[in-house]
Amino acid sequence: MMNKKFSWKHEHWVKPYLAKYKWNFLLAIFLGIIMFFCGGALMFYAGYTIDKAATRPENILMIYVPIVLMRAVGIGRPLFRYLERLVSHNWILRVTSSLRRRLFYIAEKNTSAVGSAFQTGSILSLLTDDIGHLQNLYLRTIFPAILSYLVGFIVIILIGLFSWPLAGIIAILLIMELILVPFFSLLKQTSVRSKEKKEKAQLYTEFTDQVLGAGDWKISGRKDAFFNQTKTTLKSLGKHEKKSGKFDWARDFVLEFIFGLMAVAILYFTNKNLTYNQEAANYVGAVVLALFPLSDAFIPVGQGIEEWHTYSDSVKHLNELTVPENHLPHQEYLNPVFAGTLKATDISFTYPGEDYPIIQNFSLTLKRGQKAALIGPSGAGKSTILQLVLGDLKPNTGTVTLDKINVLSLQKERSKLFSVLNQEPFLFNTTIYENLKMANPDATADQMMEILEKVQLADFINSLPKKLDTEVAEAGARFSGGQKERLSLARVLLQDTPIVLLDEPTVGLDPLTEQKLLNLVFDVLKKKTVVWVTHHLQGVKYMNEVLFFKDGKVTMQGNPYELFEHNEHFHQLYLMDQGLI
Amino acid sequence: MIDKRLFKLPKAKIMLAMLAGLMFLQAFAILGQGIFLARAIVGSWKRQSFANIAEDVLTFLIFYLLRQGINWFQKWYMNRYANQTTALLRQQLLNKTYNGGIALVSRIGTGNLVSTLLDGMDEISNYLSLIFPKLIALAIVPWVILIYIFTLNALSGWILLLVFPLLILFMIILGTAAQSKASKQYAGYIKLQNHFVDALRGLSTLKVLGLAKKYGNIVYKNSENYRKKTMGVLRVAILSTFTLDFFTTLSIAMIAMFLGIGLINGNLLLYPSLVILILSPEYFLPIRDFGNDFHATLNGKNALGQIFDILVFPTTPQENQLSSFTWNKDSVFIANNVSFNYSHIDQDHFSVNKNAKMSAVVKKEQTSADKTHTADELRNVNLKLTGFQKVGIIGPTGAGKTTLMRILAGFLTPHLKEDNFTINGQNLAQLNQKNWQNQITYIPQDPFMFATSIKENLTFYNPNASQKEIDTALKATDLNNFVASLKDGLNTRIGENGRGISGGQKQRIALARAFLAKDRKILFFDEPTAHLDIETEYELKEPMKKLMENHLVFFTTHRLHWLNDMDWCLVIENGEIVEQGAPSDLAKNGTLFKKLTQPLKEDLL
Repeated sequence: MMNKKFSWKHEHWVKPYLAKYKWNFLLAIFLGIIMFFCGGALMFYAGYTIDKAATRPENILMIYVPIVLMRAVGIGRPLFRYLERLVSHNWILRVTSSLRRRLFYIAEKNTSAVGSAFQTGSILSLLTDDIGHLQNLYLRTIFPAILSYLVGFIVIILIGLFSWPLAGIIAILLIMELILVPFFSLLKQTSVRSKEKKEKAQLYTEFTDQVLGAGDWKISGRKDAFFNQTKTTLKSLGKHEKKSGKFDWARDFVLEFIFGLMAVAILYFTNKNLTYNQEAANYVGAVVLALFPLSDAFIPVGQGIEEWHTYSDSVKHLNELTVPENHLPHQEYLNPVFAGTLKATDISFTYPGEDYPIIQNFSLTLKRGQKAALIGPSGAGKSTILQLVLGDLKPNTGTVTLDKINVLSLQKERSKLFSVLNQEPFLFNTTIYENLKMANPDATADQMMEILEKVQLADFINSLPKKLDTEVAEAGARFSGGQKERLSLARVLLQDTPIVLLDEPTVGLDPLTEQKLLNLVFDVLKKKTVVWVTHHLQGVKYMNEVLFFKDGKVTMQGNPYELFEHNEHFHQLYLMDQGLI
Repeated sequence: MIDKRLFKLPKAKIMLAMLAGLMFLQAFAILGQGIFLARAIVGSWKRQSFANIAEDVLTFLIFYLLRQGINWFQKWYMNRYANQTTALLRQQLLNKTYNGGIALVSRIGTGNLVSTLLDGMDEISNYLSLIFPKLIALAIVPWVILIYIFTLNALSGWILLLVFPLLILFMIILGTAAQSKASKQYAGYIKLQNHFVDALRGLSTLKVLGLAKKYGNIVYKNSENYRKKTMGVLRVAILSTFTLDFFTTLSIAMIAMFLGIGLINGNLLLYPSLVILILSPEYFLPIRDFGNDFHATLNGKNALGQIFDILVFPTTPQENQLSSFTWNKDSVFIANNVSFNYSHIDQDHFSVNKNAKMSAVVKKEQTSADKTHTADELRNVNLKLTGFQKVGIIGPTGAGKTTLMRILAGFLTPHLKEDNFTINGQNLAQLNQKNWQNQITYIPQDPFMFATSIKENLTFYNPNASQKEIDTALKATDLNNFVASLKDGLNTRIGENGRGISGGQKQRIALARAFLAKDRKILFFDEPTAHLDIETEYELKEPMKKLMENHLVFFTTHRLHWLNDMDWCLVIENGEIVEQGAPSDLAKNGTLFKKLTQPLKEDLL
């Protein structure tokens, strides 16, 4: 169970879309009603035909009309079912498109231009799962429930036209069938379902331990401990699933039983009220038989409503998503060609909800074309600095300025001023051409080839059968880590901004590839201002300044050549890094 | 359509027999329900009082409830069966995981394996508890009903009998049409489907390029295109349901008409006619049920197929050929012409058949983020090591360093040969040996932290370690201050759902784990500092050197300074050891060694 109380009144991920696509939804409901009507009518006319025929009328014409009607509704039922399914799927897919766009916008506001792709990966798959759950909620719970309520309502009205007492009894039974039992079962199962969910989460952790720790388990020789790892949770999950299963089956039986009572009630009242003459009695079979096809509308409601437990967490997640309030100051314009000094002055930053600042009193000044490296352990706040420099985060104190203009005032111009080379360059699932085009919509194929030449990818691209038009996915297997980085570097060059941020672009490459890439990067970025996050010292000779970080503070700072001469610690680190000690 | 391996599951025969019995019983309940309903209606039609038909009504209700009761029991029974079966499959899968270890996991993907163990089992359970009852119902119920109808009126019986093959035929024709239409559109369809995830994953890049805001509309447009394509496929795909419905309703209408004519002509009586009319929909019900649930169970079917495939993945269980020993300064290890490749099973074999599910509500594709690409071949490895040698392994990415480490640790089985390895004079075909592995500590680039306390993580190899030993290990790895700073100290939970810890601390915990495993004298380091920053690496150097004392050490690394602490070095390229020797000798004479180390020297300040 979630701690925060969930309120339907403020719900804004399910309800608005029912309203937004109401015509499509109502059409699907309408088709559904017609379909059930046809299903009932088929048995109605079939029953009537036989009953009427059994009175041995003079000729066949007497049953001609019901036979024609019977055929009509007989064709109507499959037809309307077909249409209903098409319309309802079309509806749900429309809703999905809107949901996706909305989710994308929210994710966009919560994402920074730098950061670890891996972490967001798991959150993203969660979010896509949530959308899937919302689809099911619409299609399997809300839609059938509303449809059944309307069908039930119409049935009561129709019966009411002939017999009020019968209509009353059917109404009571339908309320039990469609409202009391389903909602009772919804409430009753809440606690056991939430236990199941917890145990499943627990199992997920335990299985992950078994699978990811497979090597450790094996050499540890602790076979029993390995198998006992999940035993308890599996056992208690099994127990709870059995319990909830038992309840569900019993509930389904009760629902069928109530439906059976409806049949009995109809048998009784038709016997009492429809036997005043033979013509009326011919309708007895018709009315009784018309009931049975409706069980398809009524019985599944119980299960559908209880499935809310499966979707509730997703609805809650989505409703809890927040868009960070981001009041940007008045936006200014800066010509990228003349952009000069990048300056961070005494900035400090604490993540909301954290006790300790991740950045304390950080200052850095880089004139146009100067380069600085930030070095430190993971989690020390190196990427946070990049986010502050970009204006994705707002410092608690201090400012980041470009030519004395606060970067927060330059957000509209940002993609012309800053570019980023990431740790895991992301290539979109389209052609190489399209991927490059994203960086600069005006770039021609010739310009692209020129840039690719610079990043030493031209030969490789030319060796591909479709050259620039090669799909990234097709070439994916052929792209090595270094090549991906270089393609991403080509994107940076096409974007042609005065400032380039490098977020550990060489992590995971072997030293040879790394060295080659660094030589290339700093060659082509000679004239750019560069802030480079890295974790060791390869390539620091290209820097004007290196800054070492620990616990939010800069512990060592200076020009690498000077540090090497005068700082014993740096000297030692450098010798180790180069394999000299 | 149905996996034959299903019937080989344990207790399948008993379960099928049980189901057959239940379905026969249910068929008779359906007959009874129809007969007494018809009798009651005929009574009313004859304008008899309710007292006269009350008995029929009651009997109808009893048969109706009997039918539902059988359903109830059937669900309970099948659920029990499905749970027993999945528990067994899960056990087998865990066995496989334990025996197959890293070899299996890296082939199948961790995400894939975990989701198979968890969600996959739910889907299989659902599949088993639906597919068998529907199948058996289809095999029994319609035919019992049909035979009874034949005894009442042959014409109706013939109509029902003839419609059946027609119905199947049309379903197959339309099913094939839908399939071919679907597969024609499949490529574009999948591309659109993945587009959303692609856009989300690429959000940072979009933001950098200043395209993120604009892209929202592209996401929408693509989603709408996806919808249109899906609808195009669905229009054909659900035609098969339409056919089913159409033939059902049409034959009921036809039967009602013929019965009507028969009644007018006086060849028939009302009671049998009504029984036939009531039973006709029941005749079609099992095939409709089967058709409806067939799609719902496809996921389970695929998951089961995947498990069957994993279960035949060849793994060698830990063996006990090597006699018990402790590696000491005089021990000798020889690798004799060892070769290896991943030939057994293609990895693609394990990806879920995504083509199978044809519904608008599409499940997220499994993105295999952890497809570790290992060099897949190793040829003619020869090694002779004695005592507490420290062996550095270097080579370009993908040369086969990790594969070699995994073979030496017994995680992978080389090409079978009696004398692949010789340990203290004893020949062994492979190293998945109890008494070899209990000598080993394996520290990878990113050591795995179990979702439990720091203490249990530390004592993983040695659960009985004393507090004093733990304290010593903490001190040796410089963890004591970190642990002291935590509110719950050693009992702090880490790993999944626990406290997040940095890469450096993980590595320290792994080292402390190795310190505590005092009787394990062989250390494997697989690029232990590749992800660490220079200062953390510098701080770890001392404790690591201390740990390596009096151990046989295998150490793959790209960080060349470690070679200064090694006394033997293997240089690997394209799956072969091309040079080996003392690092100082290689620095003078090793061609590839120079090629790998020289360019870095140009980087000097």
